[in-house]
Amino acid sequence: MLPFTLLIIFCAPIFIVLSSLFGEYSDNWIHLYNYVLVDYVSSTIFLISGVSVLVFFIGTITAWIVTNYDFYGKSFFEWSLILPLSIPPYILAYTFTGLFDPFGDANNLIRNIFNLGSDVSIFPNVRNIYGAIVVFSFTLYPYVYLVSRSAFLNQSKSMKESARLLGLSEIGVFFKLSLPIIRPAAIGGLMLVIMETLSDFGAVDHFAIQTFTTGIFRTWQGMYDLQTAMQLASLLLLAVGLFFILERNSRNKAAFSSNDSSFRPENEIRLSNMKSLWAFLICFIPLFIGFILPITELIYWAFESESSFINQKFIQTSFNSISLAIISGLLTAFLALIINFSIRFKPGTIINRLSSLLSIGYAVPGLILAVGMVQLLIYIDNNFLDSTNIVLTGSIFGLLLAYIIKTYALANSSIESGYERITSSMDDSSKLLGSTGWGMLARVHLPLLKTSFLTATLLVMSEVVKELPATLILRPFNFETLAVSTYIYAAEERMFQAASPAIAIVLIGLIPIFFLSKMIRSSNKLG
Amino acid sequence: MAFMRKILYLLLVSFLSEIIFADNVNVYTSRHYDSDDALYEEFTKETGIKVNIISGKGSALLERIKSEGKNSPADIFFTVDAGNLWKVQKEGLFQSIKSEKILSSVPAELRGPNDEWTAVAKRARVIFYNPMKIRSSEIKGLTYEDLANEEWRNRIVIRSSSNMYNQSLVASLIANLGEENAEIWAKNLVKNFARKPQGNDRSQIIAVSNGEADLAIANSYYIGIMLSGSAGKEQQEAAKNVKIHFPNQNDRGVHINISGAGILKSSPNPVNANLFLEFLLSKRVQKYMVDKSYEYPIVKGVLPSSEISSFGLNFKEDNTAVRQFGELNPKAIRLMDRSGWK
Repeated sequence: MLPFTLLIIFCAPIFIVLSSLFGEYSDNWIHLYNYVLVDYVSSTIFLISGVSVLVFFIGTITAWIVTNYDFYGKSFFEWSLILPLSIPPYILAYTFTGLFDPFGDANNLIRNIFNLGSDVSIFPNVRNIYGAIVVFSFTLYPYVYLVSRSAFLNQSKSMKESARLLGLSEIGVFFKLSLPIIRPAAIGGLMLVIMETLSDFGAVDHFAIQTFTTGIFRTWQGMYDLQTAMQLASLLLLAVGLFFILERNSRNKAAFSSNDSSFRPENEIRLSNMKSLWAFLICFIPLFIGFILPITELIYWAFESESSFINQKFIQTSFNSISLAIISGLLTAFLALIINFSIRFKPGTIINRLSSLLSIGYAVPGLILAVGMVQLLIYIDNNFLDSTNIVLTGSIFGLLLAYIIKTYALANSSIESGYERITSSMDDSSKLLGSTGWGMLARVHLPLLKTSFLTATLLVMSEVVKELPATLILRPFNFETLAVSTYIYAAEERMFQAASPAIAIVLIGLIPIFFLSKMIRSSNKLG
Repeated sequence: MAFMRKILYLLLVSFLSEIIFADNVNVYTSRHYDSDDALYEEFTKETGIKVNIISGKGSALLERIKSEGKNSPADIFFTVDAGNLWKVQKEGLFQSIKSEKILSSVPAELRGPNDEWTAVAKRARVIFYNPMKIRSSEIKGLTYEDLANEEWRNRIVIRSSSNMYNQSLVASLIANLGEENAEIWAKNLVKNFARKPQGNDRSQIIAVSNGEADLAIANSYYIGIMLSGSAGKEQQEAAKNVKIHFPNQNDRGVHINISGAGILKSSPNPVNANLFLEFLLSKRVQKYMVDKSYEYPIVKGVLPSSEISSFGLNFKEDNTAVRQFGELNPKAIRLMDRSGWK
């Protein structure tokens, strides 16, 4: 009963958003249909496709290289390739324009070096859909990298050896054998990337691209039509939901991953000098674009800014961000654990469906989710708590609720894939040995899922540190997080002042990433 | 278990929002300038009243106020968008401002129809040009309407139609020319764009400065920020190349938008809220504010910052539209969609 109740509470804001579909449809729909809807949909599809293809290749190829070959910098890339996860897409977008605009720092630098006139711009314009594709791909590819790497590590060595003996080249082994086998896992990671791309507003708005999400906000904030905006958001959710079901079905049919733990650890192939250089470059580029470049630009901005940032307020703000991240990380991972545990023993129940629905929360644009949250919290406040006072709205409690909804998909995917490795025979043995029900969860599953649980917590933490729109509207008075401080400057495009809190977001986002990468380094098998 | 329950209860209680009893004023604001924080501290120092802030997008704050209803802790709604002020006013959530100090120092056209809100600072949406490239005969007497003329084909930059300042500008044109004429205007203006709308107001000014375009439509205060050097040397240099033209000086005047605030009907601390507004509209605070934000002051006898003053102070302002922006905003957006203004 407990998992069911929890799910109902957490799904409520999503239901509130979806309920708009049963409301009235205003005349604005005719306008949207006649003039902009086609643009919104086609540019969104283009964006998603571009990001998917790029992320899929960056994520799987880098994972393949670091798991199978020994080359210069391998042990460094193994963990550093996930660093871009600490950069929110909107911050990469801001640094991109700061660098590559006609008067951006990169163009200025080149002009100064080669003494060119001010009318020369070396770098192409990034304020378009291609720029957006690059921004999302290079900040989000680690989701695919993480799952692909652990899937590659679990691949049979003997299978690859046979393939090589049968005459497949290295590239052949990758494309014809290994990639098809890890496809289900990689697509699971890709789903997260797609959902995050769909829910983003900051980056696409900065590049002034008309996507479905910017359309939602235009309808709400410009046409003052929240109802239609919620309906648009619901359609987006339904599309994601449909995609989710399709993906799930294809994954169920294609359960390739083997649970046989007798695989010998892979002997890495040592690469020759020339090949080693190529491997180095292929791994370096994503790290450079997704992490080194933006960090360098942010540090440069921070030095240009005259105001000092490290003060009492900064410490308080960082403390807020860190504690919110830890609490919501643990809560969300715990929720995902309980839900997945229940599903394991009663598969195909309504809990399973609700869990998928809750995962869709990741694709809800933060502000729309916030509107659903406010309505839910006020409802609870007025009907179940003190009716003369507002207690839940504008409380940390409400904020945590929003984070859990927003990040459940991250925790769920990690716990879920962890559970896939626990065979049902283990459950049977533990039952025979007297561990049943919650006892089994505590004594058998939890120890086995330790790594998955930690991964889930850490992924949620790194997301919460970056979260902005829901935080802005749901937070208590005078409660600032680092993302909020950054936004306050970035909204006015005062990037010099925004740089310091942005660096802090990255630094704090690095804490969970640091632990994640430590896990990568210490264990060859990521649960 | 009982112990655990107690701990959980304590945790839960500590998560609930602090219920505010002391001397406070609670401000929901979509205006987040660093300099405003210093002002709030000054207010607390003078009056002993603590200023509690939630900042966010105006539209989202509005939803929160609406949902919170009569129990809302909000005293003041402060926004940079006249449209949102109008929305709150239309929903009947504001109370009228009674303070003689405010009513006597703020002109009627910069307040709500029944004094539901008052402007706190204003900005003009002006035309930037490079005097080395544009002859003074070309720019003299130029109006917003003229920007649609064929002679400006591929020469104008402006940001996207998602920007609220563009929406207000188009709303003001609908108010003055009628919807049909405004649409013809917008369609022709789009033909005159030098590039697909992109970037912020400053990017438009930079585009004019480096010769990518001849005219830019942007808000007045951006040039102040750029000239001050707080945005870097490149922007400071770029800003020195451009001049401001105030359009429509021979008829209705340049388009003005406001930052404004009002006191909510449900305000738990209306007296403090009133003091807070009076504070914002005192001469001393107005001067401090516009020196930092490069906006124009509302109160007479206060000068804008030196950077902004250097572009001239005796210009005519369009005072017909401020109240109508909100009402016409949805029309303006649909019109821009129809005319292909991305």
